Amino acid sequence: MYELLLAGIQNVMQMKYFVPLALGTLIGIVGGALPGITNTMTVIMVLPFTFGMEPLQGLAAMIGVYVGGESGGLIASCLLGIPGKPSSVATMFDGFPMTKKGEPGRALWLGIWASFFGGLLGGVFLVGTTEPLAKLALEFGPWEYFSLFIFALSMVAGLTGASLTKGLLSGAIGLVITIIGNDPVMGSPRLTLGIRFLEGGIPFLPVLIGVFAFAQIMGDVEKMGPGRSGPAGFVAPKLVVSHAKVIWEILSRPVMLLWTSFIGVLIGVLPAIGGSAANVMAYDQAKKFSKHPERFGTGTPEGIIASEAANNSNVGGSLVTIMAFGIPGDAVTAVMLGALTIHGIQPGPLFISQQPTLAYGIFAAYLLAHFIMIAFMFIGVRWFLRIVTVPKAILFPVIIVLCVVGAFALDNTMANVYVLLLCGLLGYGMVKGGLPLAPLILGVILGDQIEINLVRAIMTDDNPWLFLTRPISGGLLAAALISVVFALWQHQRAQKKGAVPEDGADF
Amino acid sequence: MKLSKDGWTGLAALAASLILFALTLDLKPSPLVPIGPGFYPRIVLGITAVLAAALVLFDLLAPPAPAATASGANYALVLAVFVTFGLYVGALPYLGFRISTLLFVAALQGVLDPPKTRRAWIVAAVTALVTTAVCYIVFERYLQVLLPRGRWTEF
Repeated sequence: MYELLLAGIQNVMQMKYFVPLALGTLIGIVGGALPGITNTMTVIMVLPFTFGMEPLQGLAAMIGVYVGGESGGLIASCLLGIPGKPSSVATMFDGFPMTKKGEPGRALWLGIWASFFGGLLGGVFLVGTTEPLAKLALEFGPWEYFSLFIFALSMVAGLTGASLTKGLLSGAIGLVITIIGNDPVMGSPRLTLGIRFLEGGIPFLPVLIGVFAFAQIMGDVEKMGPGRSGPAGFVAPKLVVSHAKVIWEILSRPVMLLWTSFIGVLIGVLPAIGGSAANVMAYDQAKKFSKHPERFGTGTPEGIIASEAANNSNVGGSLVTIMAFGIPGDAVTAVMLGALTIHGIQPGPLFISQQPTLAYGIFAAYLLAHFIMIAFMFIGVRWFLRIVTVPKAILFPVIIVLCVVGAFALDNTMANVYVLLLCGLLGYGMVKGGLPLAPLILGVILGDQIEINLVRAIMTDDNPWLFLTRPISGGLLAAALISVVFALWQHQRAQKKGAVPEDGADF
Repeated sequence: MKLSKDGWTGLAALAASLILFALTLDLKPSPLVPIGPGFYPRIVLGITAVLAAALVLFDLLAPPAPAATASGANYALVLAVFVTFGLYVGALPYLGFRISTLLFVAALQGVLDPPKTRRAWIVAAVTALVTTAVCYIVFERYLQVLLPRGRWTEF
């Protein structure tokens, strides 16, 4: 395994892979530093550029964006008190107070180095567990796959929103989108309403781009207008710090670093519960285990280390699920899945054995991106901070144009751009209707596979009880049921306490 | 009884799923495979309808929520952005990528933050020009990704 990893690192060190990786990391940091621009948005913007690249070049660029974005978000959180993105909210709780106490350099670099170490620990998990999990998934038949996808969908629906019904309904709407078009067995047209371009089905990338890009852009547009100005100018803070001292501050808390990184990885493995949940949960855990919980929120280093280690290790966890099972861990990996399918590559249990160069190239790109991130932070952190002053009136038209290019270039058809527009309206409408977007997207991604495996299972043996009596399949369906019951219990408990859980999805 | 936002969302989803469910009844079963093309869509649409109905029901049974305070959201601007984008999408097949993108980027900047000074006009114009030129050069020339051609302009 480690020989393959070493070969992967040597491979990615070649200029043709290293340059996209470095550029992706830089773009990720910049996107992360911009308040309101999430990693999903940044990776969507980068997507069309990857169409003309080799698969590993494109994936390296996207991984760079992912890693860079998770780290870039902490810049504005620590120094300006504005979270660059949802997954750096908890970083702000202690990062900004530390800055206000006159230690901006310490706050920033604690976050950057914690991101680095947390990310590398996530990498150890990624490299160590993907292959065994993929081998386990090779034992799966259509019954197990069907049950696994149902489990993923039920978990997302249960964990992402204030209401289980809304989460499940959103997932079901995602599945409805996938039944439009020719059926996968006989190719008979279904629900196409006589529209020719619907016969081939609705590709998921324009749906994903439309739903997320517009839901987010329109959310920001709502807050724009006369008299609602953007961030004011700022005075550049002094960021000089002793790196050895900062690194020691992190490494002298090994248990907390390991535990919060593990939380990040675990949350990354669960579909759709991404960096923001990892960031907040790790912060909460660090506070619970701390000898001085009262210091949290006043600028304590533990708060910064825990939250940043978790959101970067989370990336490793998200990559495990897509590489071992073909299930995206969050929206960023969903876009990566789309990029892979455009190149004719299907992630899943066979991915690592059939495409070892690509798989280990992904591992290598993930690990190297952390070193590149550190290098860019050393060079340009002061410049990244200035990016928050770029007006959204300039950014949004550019983002929308890149979304259009991304949708059109999938197969050079305007139909995808029409889907983008319709899904933009759908996404914004769903957000306004209080429906979470994560289950919708997972439904769109998994819908075809759910149907194919259901049909395959029934055509192999028409005994429906096999879904329950085969141990892994039955176990997964039981887990799906437990996740729904757990979500119900959690929601009822929150209602009794008078607090309704917020939508915590990163999709 | 008055429906809230959830109730209306549920009703819309219920109506759509029932219409689509009715359309699946026209799908003919296949003689070659034990389950026809309508089998899975009916399950999915049935579940969707049940969930949508549940959302409406829960909304009706829920105690009345306190009157929502005005959110201050600028919906007129949201509508203007969607309309501008719709016009852009409509113009792309006729004017092609270069002209429609140039117009769209300039127009959307004007919609989001109308330029008031000479400098702001120049920034808007340069942004539109640079975005269009960079996209064209990077995608068409460097990455060999085709961009929409216009029927009227033939480029």
